[in-house]
Amino acid sequence: MKRALGLYAAGAVLLLGAAFPFLWMLSTALKPSGEIFATPRFVPLHPTLENFSRLFADTSFLVFFRNSVAVAGATVLLTLTVSSLGAYSLTRYRFHGRDSVAGLILLTYMFAPIMIIIPFYILVRQLGIVNTRLALVLSYTTFCLPFCLWVLRAFFQSIPLELEEAALVDGAGRGRTVWYVVLPLALPGLIAAAIFTFILAWNDFLFALVLITSEELKTLPVGVNDLFNATIVDWGMIMAAGVMITVPTVGFFVAVQRYLVQGWGAGGVKG
Amino acid sequence: MRKSALVGWLLLAPSLVLLGGLVVFPVLYNIWLSLFDKHAFMPVQAFVGLKHYRYFARDPEFWTSFYYGSVYAGVTMVLQLGVGVPAALLLNEGFRGRNLLRGVVLFPYMIPTIVAVILWKWLLNDSYGLVNHLLMSAGLARPVAWLGPDYIMASLIVTSVWQFFPFVVVTYLARLQTIPPELYESATVDGASAWRRFLHVTLPQTASVLFVIVLLRSIWMFTKFDTVWLMAGDGGVSRYIRTLPVYAYARSFTYLQAGMGAALAVIMFVMLLAATAVYFRLFRSDEVFS
Repeated sequence: MKRALGLYAAGAVLLLGAAFPFLWMLSTALKPSGEIFATPRFVPLHPTLENFSRLFADTSFLVFFRNSVAVAGATVLLTLTVSSLGAYSLTRYRFHGRDSVAGLILLTYMFAPIMIIIPFYILVRQLGIVNTRLALVLSYTTFCLPFCLWVLRAFFQSIPLELEEAALVDGAGRGRTVWYVVLPLALPGLIAAAIFTFILAWNDFLFALVLITSEELKTLPVGVNDLFNATIVDWGMIMAAGVMITVPTVGFFVAVQRYLVQGWGAGGVKG
Repeated sequence: MRKSALVGWLLLAPSLVLLGGLVVFPVLYNIWLSLFDKHAFMPVQAFVGLKHYRYFARDPEFWTSFYYGSVYAGVTMVLQLGVGVPAALLLNEGFRGRNLLRGVVLFPYMIPTIVAVILWKWLLNDSYGLVNHLLMSAGLARPVAWLGPDYIMASLIVTSVWQFFPFVVVTYLARLQTIPPELYESATVDGASAWRRFLHVTLPQTASVLFVIVLLRSIWMFTKFDTVWLMAGDGGVSRYIRTLPVYAYARSFTYLQAGMGAALAVIMFVMLLAATAVYFRLFRSDEVFS
């Protein structure tokens, strides 16, 4: 009994520590400006959506939001395509140096973006794609690839070859076999890879800061930071922006959480 | 068989082109670039050999950045373990609402850094922030300037630990779940207390994952850019939390000295490599990995 009480008490502390800052953000976002600067209280006296309407009407927030959705969406599609092809090759074809290539791919995961951002920027300039969404999509895809290749490789390895062979014998052809047999079985892995990729692309600040200069192409993190650096910080509006950025991530996560746990178990962290 | 190898390489080609072109090539180009005086936009460049490296060896700003960066990485890493490991142990126990809590604990790690930063800047705001309000209700005479020069590092550390401890929770928990229950059962039969079971069963079983967590988190905190940069903002306090990544960024994109920025990136990489080598020598014994 005493033990159970201790567990729940510790659980409550953890819950509060992890979630309270978000709830406080939501609470502030729903307060009229008079209440924001008055004595803090958790439940707004007069809840209002005026912070949100000001955010949508007076700033380029919706433009930033659209850019982020477009960039993150395109990154997820491209990353899943490229890494599925690669992981399939690494598990189904035999060629010289296959395993060392897999090891080298993991090694590229070691380089933090800040350590290559300068040559990266110069390269992107030379390619003539600086200040384009394409530059962001290519950067994010590249930085997600090592993780996604390894997760999908682990999943593809766990799919019995007999299933594929049976489909091939039935005359399905390689492409149809992969599409109808392999990919559905690797779905938890694909979802884990998709979430990882989406979060990286949605959250990135550094590449968006360096590679994008024009206002109409900025993504959310840089755009919101600009709002924050305005001379007078409009806290209600900033918190509304914070809520708007957080909702897609949390929604996406909650929707697919049960797949994610499997993905982590199989591909990500193995101790 | 020959044909099969060709198809194999073709399927792998898009991955290799992207990683080769956008990671491997920049890494090598970076080393070469660090030997030049180069403007960030203009095509002017001149070979200067090791000049930048010699400059940084005597540059007080470099050494201050190295100091702040090491303090930041070291303290946040220890605190992330201090919060993350007990949290993982808790989430490994059976109680109602455990799965919900496992999900919620991940949120700080999944949100964009900009959200974590504005959240904590608001909580720590000196005039209207909740933290100062609570402290003053508890009897503190004057508000604390959490984002001023004296406390900005502490505030940055709190924000970072909150943002990144979930990684420790997930990773440690994944390993905890694979410890065979028999080990605990026999320890309990032998009359070992909870603390002794942790010391003699859990800790040895999880030593290798702790090894990896400490390594990864230290490297990632040492190279962390966005949290530090955003926390500092445009104001004058930025120099009290200027770590090496932020210094490298400033050299390259504020002063536009791309060669110097590249040299800083090489220095960071060599430092990490050296620290990793020492770390492996000190702690990676066969016992840990058996």
